[in-house]
Amino acid sequence: MLKAWILDFAYFLNTSKKYQTFKTFFYNILENEKYKYKKYLDLFMMALIFTSVAVLIREVKYPVNDYLRFFSNYVISIIFLIEYLLRLWVNSSVTKIIIARAEHDTFLFRDVNLQKAFRNVAKVKLSYILSPQAIIDLLAIMPFFHELRLLRIFIIFRVFKIFRYAKSFQILFSVLATKKFEFLTLGIFASIIIFISSVLIYVMEANRNDSPINTLFEAFYWSIVTISTVGYGDITPTSNEGRFVAIIVIGTGVAVLAFTTSLFVSAFTEKLDEIIEAKTIENISKLKKVYLICGYERVASEVAKKLFLKEYSIIVLDADIQKVNQAKQDGFTALNYDPGIVASYKKLDIDITKQVKAILCLNENDVENVYTTLTIRSLHKEVFILSLLMNDSNRKKLEFAGIDKLVYPQELIGLITKELVGKPVAFEVIHELRSEDSEVSIDELGITQRIVDNFPTIGSLVNKEYRVVLLGVYKTDKDRFYFNPLDSTLLEVGDYLLVIGYHVFIKEFEKYLYTKVKNA
Amino acid sequence: MRKTTALIFGHNKYAQEIVTNLQDSYTKIKVYTMDENDLGEGAYELESFDLSDEWQLIEKDVDINSSIAFCVLEDTSKNIFLTISLRAAFKELSIIAVSSNNESANKLKMAGANKVIPLVETTSDIIANMLEKPISNKVLHSILYEESALKIAQIRISNESKFKDEKLKSIDWTRYNGIIVLSVMHENMKSEFIYSSKAKRHIIKEGDVLVIVGYERDIQEFEKLIRSERYVNWSNWSW
Repeated sequence: MLKAWILDFAYFLNTSKKYQTFKTFFYNILENEKYKYKKYLDLFMMALIFTSVAVLIREVKYPVNDYLRFFSNYVISIIFLIEYLLRLWVNSSVTKIIIARAEHDTFLFRDVNLQKAFRNVAKVKLSYILSPQAIIDLLAIMPFFHELRLLRIFIIFRVFKIFRYAKSFQILFSVLATKKFEFLTLGIFASIIIFISSVLIYVMEANRNDSPINTLFEAFYWSIVTISTVGYGDITPTSNEGRFVAIIVIGTGVAVLAFTTSLFVSAFTEKLDEIIEAKTIENISKLKKVYLICGYERVASEVAKKLFLKEYSIIVLDADIQKVNQAKQDGFTALNYDPGIVASYKKLDIDITKQVKAILCLNENDVENVYTTLTIRSLHKEVFILSLLMNDSNRKKLEFAGIDKLVYPQELIGLITKELVGKPVAFEVIHELRSEDSEVSIDELGITQRIVDNFPTIGSLVNKEYRVVLLGVYKTDKDRFYFNPLDSTLLEVGDYLLVIGYHVFIKEFEKYLYTKVKNA
Repeated sequence: MRKTTALIFGHNKYAQEIVTNLQDSYTKIKVYTMDENDLGEGAYELESFDLSDEWQLIEKDVDINSSIAFCVLEDTSKNIFLTISLRAAFKELSIIAVSSNNESANKLKMAGANKVIPLVETTSDIIANMLEKPISNKVLHSILYEESALKIAQIRISNESKFKDEKLKSIDWTRYNGIIVLSVMHENMKSEFIYSSKAKRHIIKEGDVLVIVGYERDIQEFEKLIRSERYVNWSNWSW
């Protein structure tokens, strides 16, 4: 009966949308680095930690306000306790473990063994409880029992909690962890030296009346101070034998220190690129309106500069490290990832649907552009892909690969020369309109409901007053451009006005359209 | 003088595209190659040249005044040398050169090219426009390259034009009988946007060029109405 009830409840919780949303929220805010509100909780917890440490320091010599002490001992401890319990809860799913066991046993036509399920639950939860971070969390709650004076010192464990919230510490530990074996070897070597030198100095000095070393602890203390090259000088050997031991320990200390320093340096040097890459990927996940440029050559460099000026985010992927470095020098976010392999996009950790406006395959090589396009299409069917076409015979292959728009520079030269020799002035005018550097430009103004309410027809627009030429209107639903439309043409939501004029006047006209008060 | 001959220096994809686009409007197209192995290849007649040439052979063969030269050698330094050689030999020749970037574009201009097409910048401008202003890019592309019935034309104001000696400001140019006037180019050879302060004060004179957009029928009516016609003034063409 109880077993059935537990199983039903586990299935209920596992399928309950409310419960799962609730749990996901707490998981995100406590553990998910990418969750945008997590940083606020981290900052709040860090503020609590520093408050309680400040109270502890103040308490040493001065009286502390009762409310503040209450806040430090009880309120902060309760908050930490809640946090500890929440972390224990979201760390693993009890219901999933129970359901997995139930399904396993049912599949094998056995009675559901809930004992085994609970054993698994205990194992998983215990492994979390015994993890270093969870132990620190638990110790940080201890000052709650402030009547036990000794436990007050556990406040200092709250400082260790900062490691949880400050990412740089985590990076530091991860970097040093790569040299675990070297540090362990060095630690063992230093420990042996300390042990031997402590024993030796004790043997040499303990029976001498003029020697300050009388106990094994003093000998150990002297060894640590000497091997670390600190050398306080409060305890010094007086016998020649003792001084000889000191010489050995000092020599070894210098070697240990130099080796430790070199370990730190080499660990960071080896991991530096990875750290920068991880940071870059973290920043990329926060970007919006991204243009992903695959291949950084001459055209790519110019396109990136133009889009960057329009305040779009640019990410460059190239398998050639020199090109990546060039992109970085040009001020763009660039990664040495091969755009032709799926793993690159997975590592990039970017939501193509939400974050990417378009992917530009700008390698000046059709084979690579086909390869890149097929890779992207295997991951995402909808994203807009534009590509350079270097050889017209490859046009069909690129189209077949799934490119939405092809740009063939040689064809452009042919078209441009035709127009240039036929209508040089007109060509220059259009060229000026397209150019970013020109004062006069062509712009697209989207029609909103508000504009339709205020300006129902083309005739009601007052573009002439703003020195703006209305070239025509583009009707999105009909996918058709109406040049120089009649005054009676109705405007509809989703239409675009194509206007030509000075930037400043177009901006004024746009502002007027969007902000005109109804019936004003 | 109307240009009837196109001289294309360089045998490559650019030359092929230029030939394809110009063969209907030019009576004579001559393609010159530096590589003698290319002679006899391709769909059009090829002639050889080298940069040390004295150019008299070309001068004998074609009327330089009615010719326009395209320098499309892929090697930038050779293309610059070719341009400066042509300019040194023929002061009046209209030269259009293709460059890989802005830096070589400046050198080509200094070498005497009338117009330089910087390939990388032009391509990147078009890509940026396609992404940023897809509708206007499509419309401008179709107007410029006559992919639709809509056309862009330049009309020279003649002595008999009804607008001669009138102030630009006094006419509503923006929507005139189905056409839209975008800019005016006057004697200093600089085109001014129709709503610019300079253009507004300008008094229309004989020789001014109006850049207009419209359908062919409307452009023709406009030509009749203002008693002026489409024109390309090559003698002063320089940027």
